[in-house]
Amino acid sequence: MIWHIAKRELYDNLNSLRFALATALLLALMLTNAVVHLREHPGRIQEYRTSATDYWNALTPRTDLYELAQKGPGFLYKKPSPLRFCAEGGEAFLSNRVDAGYVYWGMDDLKGFWSVAYPSSTPNLTNVRPDVTKIDWGFIVGYVLSLIVLLFTFDSISGERERGTLRLMLANPMPRHIVLIGKFLGALMSILVPFTFAVLINLFVISVSGDVQLDAEAWGRLSIIFIVAVLYTGLFIALGLLVSSRVRQSAVSLVILLLTWVTFVVFMPNTLASIATGFSPAPMTSDEFMERKNQLHNNRWRETYSMRDKPMKLSKFVINDAEDQERLNQEHLTQQIAQVEVARAATRISPAALVQHLLESFAGTGFSRHLQFLENVRQYVRQYREFVIDTDSADPDSPHFIGISEGISRKPVSPESIPRFEDSLSLSRDFNDAAIDLMLLMLLVLVLMSGAYLVFVRAQV
Amino acid sequence: MLISLIRREILDNLMTFRFAAATLITLLLVVANTVVLVKDFDRRLASYNTAVKTHRQKLRETKTYSAGEIRVDRPPNPLSIFNVGFDKRLGNEIWIYHAFVPTLWDAEMSGSDNPFLNIFTSIDVSFIFEVVLSLMALMFAYDALAGERERGTLRLVLTHSVSRGTILLAKYVGAMLCLLIPLALSLILSLILLTTNASFSLGTPDFLRIGGFVLASLSYLSVFYLIGLLISAATQRTSTALMISMFVWGFLVLVYPNMILATIKPSAQLQTRAESAVDEMKQTWDEFDRERKRFLANDAVPGEDWSFGMVGIGGLMESFESSDVGYYYHSYIDFEGLYEEFEPQVPHAQKYFSYLGPRVVNTAERTWLVRKPVLDNIFVKPANSERTLLKFSPVGVYDAATQRLAGTDLLGIRDFFDAARQYRQTAIDYFINNDTFGSLQWFSADKGAADWTTLPQFSFQRADFGANAKRALPDFCLLLITNLALFMAMFLIFRKSEV
Repeated sequence: MIWHIAKRELYDNLNSLRFALATALLLALMLTNAVVHLREHPGRIQEYRTSATDYWNALTPRTDLYELAQKGPGFLYKKPSPLRFCAEGGEAFLSNRVDAGYVYWGMDDLKGFWSVAYPSSTPNLTNVRPDVTKIDWGFIVGYVLSLIVLLFTFDSISGERERGTLRLMLANPMPRHIVLIGKFLGALMSILVPFTFAVLINLFVISVSGDVQLDAEAWGRLSIIFIVAVLYTGLFIALGLLVSSRVRQSAVSLVILLLTWVTFVVFMPNTLASIATGFSPAPMTSDEFMERKNQLHNNRWRETYSMRDKPMKLSKFVINDAEDQERLNQEHLTQQIAQVEVARAATRISPAALVQHLLESFAGTGFSRHLQFLENVRQYVRQYREFVIDTDSADPDSPHFIGISEGISRKPVSPESIPRFEDSLSLSRDFNDAAIDLMLLMLLVLVLMSGAYLVFVRAQV
Repeated sequence: MLISLIRREILDNLMTFRFAAATLITLLLVVANTVVLVKDFDRRLASYNTAVKTHRQKLRETKTYSAGEIRVDRPPNPLSIFNVGFDKRLGNEIWIYHAFVPTLWDAEMSGSDNPFLNIFTSIDVSFIFEVVLSLMALMFAYDALAGERERGTLRLVLTHSVSRGTILLAKYVGAMLCLLIPLALSLILSLILLTTNASFSLGTPDFLRIGGFVLASLSYLSVFYLIGLLISAATQRTSTALMISMFVWGFLVLVYPNMILATIKPSAQLQTRAESAVDEMKQTWDEFDRERKRFLANDAVPGEDWSFGMVGIGGLMESFESSDVGYYYHSYIDFEGLYEEFEPQVPHAQKYFSYLGPRVVNTAERTWLVRKPVLDNIFVKPANSERTLLKFSPVGVYDAATQRLAGTDLLGIRDFFDAARQYRQTAIDYFINNDTFGSLQWFSADKGAADWTTLPQFSFQRADFGANAKRALPDFCLLLITNLALFMAMFLIFRKSEV
């Protein structure tokens, strides 16, 4: 019976004007998305490969352990995700590298040690082009698809009531929840037909051109993204059914739905983010940061001024100074991240932001991916430091004062033994990050579905 | 007759649920966002004030002229609440230095302490109007004609001796008056919020600009209302009209602006142009370098050392640097005290620096002549053509018009950099008139520190209302023409249509 209603619903929609318009719109958007991705992605991959090779080529000729210990590994790069077309995630504003070779000071006889610094990315500073949203799947699903869903469902019950066919249908021995589920499935199918079609065309264009390779993991991620999109569609269908069964007139139902859509999808994410950032503690200002940097260094310097002839203390000073700098950099970064996290948490009220977060997580882009990259860097940095210490302690001739060139092992280091940084994406970690969002989204769908059921059961025909 | 028709339309519209709901939502969104924007503006103003203070103080603490970094700051524009444009995006701090001509591509950003926050887009009042009011206009319009036709009331009205034009006019005026209510209410509320805040000092020109903003918003609304009426006149059934309206809205507001720019391919040719320009600038500076070495070789002190081997407490630096679209020369020599054995070098150094100063200025100006057209070609022209493409949607026109009125458009920001360039000229004139380049204080504070107090202060006034209005005029005209064309089209269709 459910199937019967769903089929009727589907046939009804297939012939309608909105179906044709929706198909055309989704198709155009998905094609644009694919074409832009094909144009931009090879360049990104190329850039990453070049810089990752440069990093390694700069590191391997260093056979002197002191040089390795003092200069550090250098710039470490973030691996671009092959699924960036699914969610842009503001990648342009997230730096694609970390400077693990930042040396704050140096003199002829004594050099400062490296510490990790986090360069920021501000492409907008010189960009006078108009500001537009990138057409990614996040935009297509979050904005356009949700609008289309509302246009498909706003009259699904109120329209039948107006035409009187609802009464007719309920005159059959059929429980109301069957009708509702049938309606739900019918709407879901009628929207998924053009959406799936557009998605397939998009993926076809992307995978046919040899420029972008999608591996098995990428396809797995894509299917999860598709499921998220289906869930999100379900959410708006449930919302549409809820409002449409509550309201007598289709016109009123549409107004309510559109205004809800505008509020939750268009405005909520950004407004809530601004409000939350306004009320969360601001990170230290860049002036303050620079001042503290100098102060820390000067304090250490004053402590050490009198012991220029004691190599052990001098070595300790160099290392402590680098640690100070790194701690400060880390603190600065942590404060910035905390502010963004608060803002992102606040936007979770909006389903559009939820789906945006989910798409970013599974596409391996955006803020949570950036945090993963930073974590990868931290792990590597630890490994690199341990390597220096272990190599030095393996040499019995070394006095083990790593901070100065006379105090460290002189044995040449073989290039193979130097740890190499390789940024990686991990689906299981992405799943962990996205679990809450995914559950919230499912919860919302369930709540709205039960709401629609309750309202429909009590509704007068 | 017209009046009574208009009255009927207004009452019809005002009593509807959609009117109440849409007004409420507009008010809510505008008020909530104004509160956020005001807070943000306060923060930006505070950081501007701190920046100005720190820069002045740092300058005053500099003991020699050559090491003095004159930095000027761009104040935030209070009208950025209405359309933020480039106000928050482009650099707001620029170094005034005689060795290069400052442009917005050399500017820095002060007061943005968390660059990660850029991943969130900021919303301004014009964006709210762009989205909500256009939607509202379409919701008023889609059944204005098709609905009456379905209900049969259109036939009824036409049996009276009313011309079709009158009906259309009545519908249009009535709906526009209704749409004015949420627009005006929300603007009044946000103005109340603005004026009660101490950090906003809005003058008469600003209120004129806000008046212009209302006009632009109204004509933007009218475009969408007319689009809705056109669809309504052309279709037989309200449901069809509704679907077409919604898709047209989605396309014009949501899809087109974002999609059209993605399809433009950035030209690779510009990159090579930039490279050749940097090369040319480098050659100019190389020439300067050779000339100056010749001078150093020919003067009384042997050797080509530009610092004459002077040593003192302090430091010195000289560098030639290139960036993507620039080539910079930077040097300073900053001695708090000079060791006595170098006293005899001082007159030679003074002679050299008084020779060098004007030449540096001159070379900087020559490279500027090379750089200016390249910057225009690489950055401004593509951006302008993209903005023209955006104007195929009313959203783009409205955005451009309000941006220009508020002075947050590219021209408004460039005004600041023009002022900065002017100020650089003032500072250079001051240096030349006081023979600062050739003074001892240029490089050494041996006999007293540099005196920065008599240097003229930088001040920047936003362009006056007339200039802004003139810039916005083409877009206003475009909006009006669109209105007229739509009205004509609708009128023609409606006249021919069967009732």
